[in-house]
Amino acid sequence: MTAAATGVIRLRFACDTGGTFTDLVVEDDRGGAEMFKSPTTPSDPVDGVLASLALAAEEHEVELAQFLGQGDVFIHGTTHAINAILTGNTAKTAFLTTAGHPDVLLLREGSRPRAFDHSLEYPQPYVPRALTFEVPGRLDAQGAELDALDEDAVLEATGRISELDVEAVSVCLLWSIVNPAHELRVGELLAAELPDVPVTLSHELNPSWREYRRASSAAIDASLKPVMGRYLGSLTRRLEEAGFSGRVLCLTSQGGMVDAEALAQTPIHAVNSGPALAPIAGAHYNRVEEGSTEYAIVADTGGTTYDVSLVRGDTIPWTRETWVGGAYQGHMTGFPSVDVRSIGAGGGSIAWVDSGGVLHVGPQSAGADPGPACYGRAGTRATVTDASLVLGYLDAGYFLGGALTLDETKARAALFEDVASPLGAELEPAAWAVIDVATESMVQAILAITVNQGIDPARATLIGGGGAAGLNSVFVARRLRCERLIIPDTGAALSAAGALMSSLTVEHRAVNFTTTADFDSAGIAATLAGLESRCRSFLADAGVAAADGTISFGVEARYENQAWEIPVELGADPTIATKQEDVAERFHRTHRDVFAIDDPNSAIELVSWWARASADTRGGRPFGRLRELAADTLEPATRQVYLPTEGRVEAEVIPWGTLAAASPRTGPAIVESPFTTVVLDSAARFERSAAGNLVIHP
Amino acid sequence: MSAPDLATPRGADRDALGGAELAVLAARFEGIASKMGNTLLRTGRSGVLNRARDFSCCITTNTGDLLVYAESLPIHVLGADMLSRSMLAAHPDLKPGDAFLHNSPYHGNSHPADHVILVPVFDRAENHRYTMVCKAHQADIGNSIPTTYHAEAKDVYEEGALIFPCVQVQRAGVDIDDIIRMCMMRIRVPEQWHGDYLAMLGAARIGERETLALGDEVDWDALAAFDEQWLDYSERLMAAAIGELPEAEASGISVHDPLPGTPEDGIPIRSAVRVAPADGIVEVDLRDNPDNLASGLNMTESTARAAALIGVFNSLDPSVPKNGGSARRVQVLLREGCVAGIPRHPASCSVATTNVADRIANATQQAMSQLGHGIGMAEFGGFFVASSAVVSGVDPRSGRPHVNQIFLGGASGAGGPYSDGWLTYLHAGNGGMCHVDSVEVSEHYQPLVVHERRVLTDTEGAGWRRGAPALEIEYGPSDEGSLTIAYVSDGEQNPAVGVRGGLDSVPAWNVRRKPDGSEERLPQSGLVELAPGERIACLSQSGGGYGRPEEREPERVRDDVLQGIVTSDRARDVYHVEISEYGELDLAATARLRASVG
Repeated sequence: MTAAATGVIRLRFACDTGGTFTDLVVEDDRGGAEMFKSPTTPSDPVDGVLASLALAAEEHEVELAQFLGQGDVFIHGTTHAINAILTGNTAKTAFLTTAGHPDVLLLREGSRPRAFDHSLEYPQPYVPRALTFEVPGRLDAQGAELDALDEDAVLEATGRISELDVEAVSVCLLWSIVNPAHELRVGELLAAELPDVPVTLSHELNPSWREYRRASSAAIDASLKPVMGRYLGSLTRRLEEAGFSGRVLCLTSQGGMVDAEALAQTPIHAVNSGPALAPIAGAHYNRVEEGSTEYAIVADTGGTTYDVSLVRGDTIPWTRETWVGGAYQGHMTGFPSVDVRSIGAGGGSIAWVDSGGVLHVGPQSAGADPGPACYGRAGTRATVTDASLVLGYLDAGYFLGGALTLDETKARAALFEDVASPLGAELEPAAWAVIDVATESMVQAILAITVNQGIDPARATLIGGGGAAGLNSVFVARRLRCERLIIPDTGAALSAAGALMSSLTVEHRAVNFTTTADFDSAGIAATLAGLESRCRSFLADAGVAAADGTISFGVEARYENQAWEIPVELGADPTIATKQEDVAERFHRTHRDVFAIDDPNSAIELVSWWARASADTRGGRPFGRLRELAADTLEPATRQVYLPTEGRVEAEVIPWGTLAAASPRTGPAIVESPFTTVVLDSAARFERSAAGNLVIHP
Repeated sequence: MSAPDLATPRGADRDALGGAELAVLAARFEGIASKMGNTLLRTGRSGVLNRARDFSCCITTNTGDLLVYAESLPIHVLGADMLSRSMLAAHPDLKPGDAFLHNSPYHGNSHPADHVILVPVFDRAENHRYTMVCKAHQADIGNSIPTTYHAEAKDVYEEGALIFPCVQVQRAGVDIDDIIRMCMMRIRVPEQWHGDYLAMLGAARIGERETLALGDEVDWDALAAFDEQWLDYSERLMAAAIGELPEAEASGISVHDPLPGTPEDGIPIRSAVRVAPADGIVEVDLRDNPDNLASGLNMTESTARAAALIGVFNSLDPSVPKNGGSARRVQVLLREGCVAGIPRHPASCSVATTNVADRIANATQQAMSQLGHGIGMAEFGGFFVASSAVVSGVDPRSGRPHVNQIFLGGASGAGGPYSDGWLTYLHAGNGGMCHVDSVEVSEHYQPLVVHERRVLTDTEGAGWRRGAPALEIEYGPSDEGSLTIAYVSDGEQNPAVGVRGGLDSVPAWNVRRKPDGSEERLPQSGLVELAPGERIACLSQSGGGYGRPEEREPERVRDDVLQGIVTSDRARDVYHVEISEYGELDLAATARLRASVG
């Protein structure tokens, strides 16, 4: 690794802070990339960031300051915002709401996870009722004023807010999306009375209907402003102090990136900052390998969660329903975000048998602490990692490249006690059953995002990311009848790799309700013109030449009297949106794609419009491949593994780095690198591609 | 724990599937049911369906046993077996491509407003294997008045519902559109009904498609083995849970408020429960109840049984799967011609999923609660004040008619041994699964303004585990419009009862508020016309408390005070907990208070 000696190489850093590891991918301007993993420091995540950079500098044999000095851009994904919410370390936040409706955040949208489970406690509101203030003043659905805003009541509230040492204020008034006058005036009064307290106005942050979702977005956003402001400020400052002088960008829940200062202004966009980038990487790997499919299923296996998403071409999937803390029990961000679903399944998932004799895997996880039984720490319960060790999938002496020695005796004892004995099965079939049940829950998570949208997973490529992906990705892919499985060379740090491929993006939305029966062409044109100009100024502020940025438009729409909109892409030409027939035709087609039916006789309700600006920050260069590290080239060997259809067999153990490109092979085999282990049974055909990835036909 | 009855499973002659295979196939069937539900939600047209999610999707076996369901309303789905069996009885010569519309309260359905599409699924050799069941509450069903709950109908003729006793609507996958044309002439806002009908049919067909793919992939005989073993497994878990209960007999009485057509003192509903842990059986006897009434409040066989099951399931270990297997362990005894039993035609069952059904569930869990601490639950609050009304009229903004059931908020969650009452439970039969309407969405689709929706302090059914607090909801017509509002309020005279020393809820009420500020108490059922400028307000009541409030942990009482659910005065008077004006718990004063009162 003598690249630094030339002194002219420029670097881009992408760093993803997860719960257990901080992943770093460093890309240079000559098409090379490297991957590093360093433990996360939960009490000071910036420390983990700097440690991962120090690891990279060491590999390059240069001082950290010199190494950072070569960097043009530092892209950061972080779980800091979500952790602040989950651990209650957000700001003391007040909520201003329309008089008569103090319990918007308490009632949510009703429902509960399970009908007969009376052990569930009703969840508390995001902002306590004691910090909720009612503001007299009412608009109707058309934006007409039914009651004038009572400014004295607002001032009374600001007085109380000031006495209560509130650190942030959120405002959501009914119908502010149709007529923002009252909300804006409340904002002015807050700015005048409480100049040092950050405020979020719901219509500015999230102009969409359904007051709970908008209120929840505003409350979460306001509550994150102080903590994310401090965190991002500290990150930027300490990177500078360590010698970095480039641009600090942050990943958003929407899979784009914005300047750290901009994210501090609307920190709700950091809630899904980490996992949102895996789909971008997945789309890239589906595209670069031969035989790319229309859809790619991107799965990211961590220690405790399995994150899945579905990408179509380069189109990243979106959802408006993002919950922090579980559906019906947590809080909705009310925001579209990259549609990444998480289930509790990973290497640390605990296997157990219930009183009726049925095996379950997860959602409980042993995590990194106490850890699986084979870690030899405090954990004694059988996990997926233990089962993998018993089956011979993992090498006790080469876990994480030998960083941790696994204790097979403890793994066998835990599996015998927790699984084999209660099931009345032999140890190895019992261990396989653990993998099989974990595989099935992963399969179900994928079916929920594919089949439920009418997409046959058999026509898609599965992209296996995350350190533990290789253990059962072949089995997941086969269950889904996927013909193609890719384990990318950056798979163990898929989100960080995605960050380097991501564009600078911003999205602006506005509500302008109209229908195809009563089509308001001029109104739509005006709405889109407003959105377009906001996008243009974003690009100009970011220093993007007009030619390098793209702006695309779309609408959230539904059939008359349906309650749920679907997003309809309208492309780059805003005049399309002003033609009734064109919009209708695109809606019918999209509805058919999603639900397999359409209703051409029905009017279409067009609800909210978006414009999305995007600018390539890579200057058009493709993402490179990972450079081989010395540890990748161990001697080939063989190992006994247990496979469901063939029992115990001798499998080749192939170091990732020794796998020559374009020479197809078949299993049984184990492909190993310091970051991952891929299990291939004898039905699997696989090869290393020219781009460096493992391409498998299960 | 006494040993449960784990007799040889009925499927023992087949190759037994392992626990892992059972789990995998159960997940796959549940995946199919939830895909059906998702299709129904996203493509449905009425608010009761696409906003409140008042629907259910499930799969029954070829003999009619309930196999799996997506997150569904218990009062709907626990009767799916009867629907499937009535299809087998009415159409012994089923063919691939058939579809049936069913809403008959006399043939296994819950009540006429719940339209059901049944699609039998066949393997490649044309053997009937499964039935897809999609049920959705309709915005209107052509009743004589604009509501899907006609409490005052003296019989089905006055009720006026079109009754479809499992009639064929598709053959070989092609519409037989006679029924559709009838409905289009008779149901209010017919295109809305038709949109929901298509959504149900689409959901059932998607379930069929997925089940066919599963059968082709896994092998139909393996699936049949799964059916038996999954139901047997559920039955074993249920037997084990019952095995943990004490052997006992107990009965509970829950009284529905008097309405036109009922006895003067209301309808006392008695549930006599016998628990036989050694046999793993719970028996619920509903036969000692009044005869059918000249009222829409009569139960159907399906909802009487489902309500008894709900009362039992609410009182047991939540992890037991609720299906035809676990239901085998609950024996519900019903009498024909009984208000809480099997209706005798032409008795009207217009309101059979809510009011008396909730009383059956309440009486049953009340009885269970007598078995000991940690068993049973308090009563859920009465349903169906004006916040859940069927609202109709003409929208002045478009000049078009509108009709829909609104779900602006229902509290009613009862205290139980594991938790306080769930705030948005709505009512016992729905299990808290329905959604609450957004104010903005409601005001967009119907010409109304929601003026108020708030939790009321000091309204909870106090207890060691308290009921949810009550909600006050007020709304009225927008602009110059008027509204017709239909509801069937219960719990005004007989609030939800607390158990094991827990206190009762506050009573429900409905009032008309006039522009001059005056207020008029409204009757408990019927149609209310609101003139421009008028508003209707109601209290959706709390649930009862479980256990003595004086034994509630002081920290929980303090949290309630801080959240504004309970005042510090009530904390002192009812819970005997002293909270300072700064919201701090005074443990010494609390100990003195609790000691002095005993």
